[in-house]
Amino acid sequence: MISRSPFNFSMRIDGERSSALDQARGRIVLIVGFILLAYIVVAGRLFDVTIIQGYFHAAEETATREDDVSKTHLARRGDIVDRNGVILATSLKTASLYADAKLMTDAEGTARQLTKIFPNLVYGDLLKKFQSERRFIWIHRNLTPQEQQKILNIGDPGLGFAYDYKRIYPQGRLTAHMVGYTDVDGRGLGGIERSFNSFLTKSSDTIRLSLDIRLQHILRRETQKAISDFNGIGGAGVIMNVKNGEILAAISLPDFDPHDPSAAQNDLHRFNRVTLGVYELGSTFKIFTAAALLEKKKVSMATTFDARSPLHRGNRIIRDFRPEKRVMTVPEVFMYSSNIGTALMGEAIGTQGLKAMYSDLGLMKRMDFEIDEMGRPLMPTPWRDINTLTASYGHGIAVTPLQLVSAVSAIVNGGTLVRPTLVMKDEKSKPQTSVRVISKETSLKMRQLMRLVVSDGTARKADVKGYMVGGKTGTAQKNVNGRYLDDKRISSFVSVFPMTDPEYAVFIMVDEPKPNKDSFGYATAGWVAVPAVARVISSFAPLYNLAPEQDAPDLAEPLRPFLHKVSGEGH
Amino acid sequence: MSLFRSDILIDDVSFYGRLKQMSWSLIILISVIAVIGFLSLYSAANGNFDPWATQQITRFMFAFVMMVVIGLTDLRLIFRTAWPFYGVCLVLLICVHLFGHVGGGAQRWLDIGVMKIQPSELAKIATIMVLARFFHGVEVQDIKKIKTLFFPILIIGVPFLLIVTQPNLGTSLSLVFASVAVMFAAGIALWIFIVAGVAVAGSIPIVWHFLHDYQKNRVMTFLNPESDPLGTGFHITQSKIALGSGGVFGKGFLEGSQSHLNFLPEKHTDFIFTLWAEEWGLMGGLFLFFVLALLFLNGLWIAFRCRSVFARLLAFGLMINFSIYIFINIGMVMGLLPVVGIPFPLMSYGGTSMIAVMIGFGMMQSCNIYRDARLPRTV
Repeated sequence: MISRSPFNFSMRIDGERSSALDQARGRIVLIVGFILLAYIVVAGRLFDVTIIQGYFHAAEETATREDDVSKTHLARRGDIVDRNGVILATSLKTASLYADAKLMTDAEGTARQLTKIFPNLVYGDLLKKFQSERRFIWIHRNLTPQEQQKILNIGDPGLGFAYDYKRIYPQGRLTAHMVGYTDVDGRGLGGIERSFNSFLTKSSDTIRLSLDIRLQHILRRETQKAISDFNGIGGAGVIMNVKNGEILAAISLPDFDPHDPSAAQNDLHRFNRVTLGVYELGSTFKIFTAAALLEKKKVSMATTFDARSPLHRGNRIIRDFRPEKRVMTVPEVFMYSSNIGTALMGEAIGTQGLKAMYSDLGLMKRMDFEIDEMGRPLMPTPWRDINTLTASYGHGIAVTPLQLVSAVSAIVNGGTLVRPTLVMKDEKSKPQTSVRVISKETSLKMRQLMRLVVSDGTARKADVKGYMVGGKTGTAQKNVNGRYLDDKRISSFVSVFPMTDPEYAVFIMVDEPKPNKDSFGYATAGWVAVPAVARVISSFAPLYNLAPEQDAPDLAEPLRPFLHKVSGEGH
Repeated sequence: MSLFRSDILIDDVSFYGRLKQMSWSLIILISVIAVIGFLSLYSAANGNFDPWATQQITRFMFAFVMMVVIGLTDLRLIFRTAWPFYGVCLVLLICVHLFGHVGGGAQRWLDIGVMKIQPSELAKIATIMVLARFFHGVEVQDIKKIKTLFFPILIIGVPFLLIVTQPNLGTSLSLVFASVAVMFAAGIALWIFIVAGVAVAGSIPIVWHFLHDYQKNRVMTFLNPESDPLGTGFHITQSKIALGSGGVFGKGFLEGSQSHLNFLPEKHTDFIFTLWAEEWGLMGGLFLFFVLALLFLNGLWIAFRCRSVFARLLAFGLMINFSIYIFINIGMVMGLLPVVGIPFPLMSYGGTSMIAVMIGFGMMQSCNIYRDARLPRTV
């Protein structure tokens, strides 16, 4: 009485609604088609991720399949060393314990004795496994020799050892983000370990990084001190050779133990702030605005900008942090870090001009670098003219610290682009590219301006005598869920020395510093990041045998005629 | 022979008569998926029933009974309660706004003492019911008229606005998708969908223009997970490594090292499909797809056979609602879609989605039993 076959029914029934009913059924069939198509797409993707993309993983996996004891030997993974040959990552051959339930003679006794040796094993779990039929059960990886001896003393034929390599990071947390880490099967999951995974596993060759572990230590110590002093939530630091782009040190805090990455309290510890984090860095961006301005033909250091009152553009009001309330020359705008003056510069440069400068400096797109964890910059979209004004002082545009340091390097090194690099190349210490971003003359003027910031401006605490330090501070309000918060800042300082012939850029950033008593209630870059950079340079320069030049004329001297008044030591 | 049994309501209205008319294939397919879920949760806890599998089995049994009870309910009762149920859901949504429990930065949960419920899930079902109810009453000659659209848009719009402002973009968009599918099946003129599609695509830049900066940032983070410091990019990478390491036949039950060694986050909730596919490989994944496809076809077959517009659209809408869940979750864990935190219904550990989809399957059972029922046409 009931026809269940879909083929021999009549779609037509009597009544007014029949045609609507037919049509609705037709549409249901159409949707069936759509959804089945979606299933095919999803199944195709599953094939893609499990088979095509998973091909290399699978190749490694079969070598480590847990039921295949004879193949548990992995090839020894290559070492990673710093520029001076100090080992950052190496592999040690260790024994791991497994059990074969079929050969087990005394499951209960063995399980009990094992729980004595390894208190974290649970007796019931072990017993359940031992009483199964399984031929291969991992018990404990990477035994110490003492543990191995105790297991031999148990003497049960059902226990066996497999030998493989355990990854060791002698420097621990110090290089955790850059060198990265591996999983228990020796697959690289972060940093160089991940991006050079196939190289390290296939060739067993050593990779030499441009990092210098001594500088890495100095940078971490001083950044951590700045974070602790000002009760910040994190920070980052970079030391880079401005001529050839070699990264001498790069740290992200808080960090984690690469031997046990999953023990990091949360992902923030594993998060690489140097390369993956993008931040609005505030006034340090004024470097690029000033450079773009000075590239224009009709502009000189004497060109003035009216910063007497806050700037009204559209529905925005641009104010200065410490208003000078007067007309300022280019060096004054830069030295006092005037937002109003810089915004007017941005207006003079124009949207096209500023975007072209950012783009030439590599600030507009994800950077190409030797590790995979790279952040994508955040730009105003759409970019309207008001955004040009705010971007000119580093507001509304977010880049990674590594991008900032690279761009600043190009500004000071004579004007040619550098690509940061973490792996040592054979032909070193010469500029890698001849891509010119700004003219030599502008580069010199920018060095004078950045020197002035340290000799007379917001970064006087960084004036390490004899090393002609220059730089630019930035204190940006943090954007949390779309709101700029007055009490959450990012303080950063990018410095270069010696300004007469720049060699190194040193950058330190502190996330959410809080004012303390010693800083008289300030948590601006001048109090937080600048002293930290000064401490780094004071340790760094002697280490590299860089002789101080006490009597050299100050590079900023030619700018003095353009200053309204010589600022005293008073404030 | 006709597709339909007869003009009378139902052959046998006794308890057993109705039970016999249930779609048993639907019940079997649901159970298979749930069992796959139990196995995965057992494995996720390294071969233990606690803390997840036991509770999930209890929940499923509760939800199963609920499905059977709803399934045996007279469809005319469901038909009559559509509007009241919709009203209750709106009140609940308003309550969430007024005194909701803030979880994960958004007000979604309502604490009713014994448990926390997420009214947005119920509101989706209610909206589908009311839409089906509405189109049931529309005269055939009016269905293509544009003025017919006014009321459905209102029906969808109110819960949409209440959910999207919680804020819960994922659920509100899936509400719209399911509703649009119902309207499509109801027979709204095709050109309206084309025009609406073009209009939506064209209005995106305009809407973007009016968004606040913080809303833009949120969308940017959504499109570019790498900029999110909480590391959603890390999750997807881990998920893909786990899937890739599974290969064709998987690593075997309880042997998924990526999942067991805590590399895979949320392995018992949103990423449970990854765990399943790591241990059972491509074949396990395809088997699950096959079961899901059968379930889907079964649901649509129920809709297809229903004589009343209400039952047809209701069964259809509920099935689409379930499928949207599945596609978003699978797309998410395989890196086709951004991570939006949608669970895998029936398999993921958690009560809300389980109860919601089982209520839906219960109503589909009722549609199946009363597929020939004549329902009044009053609007």
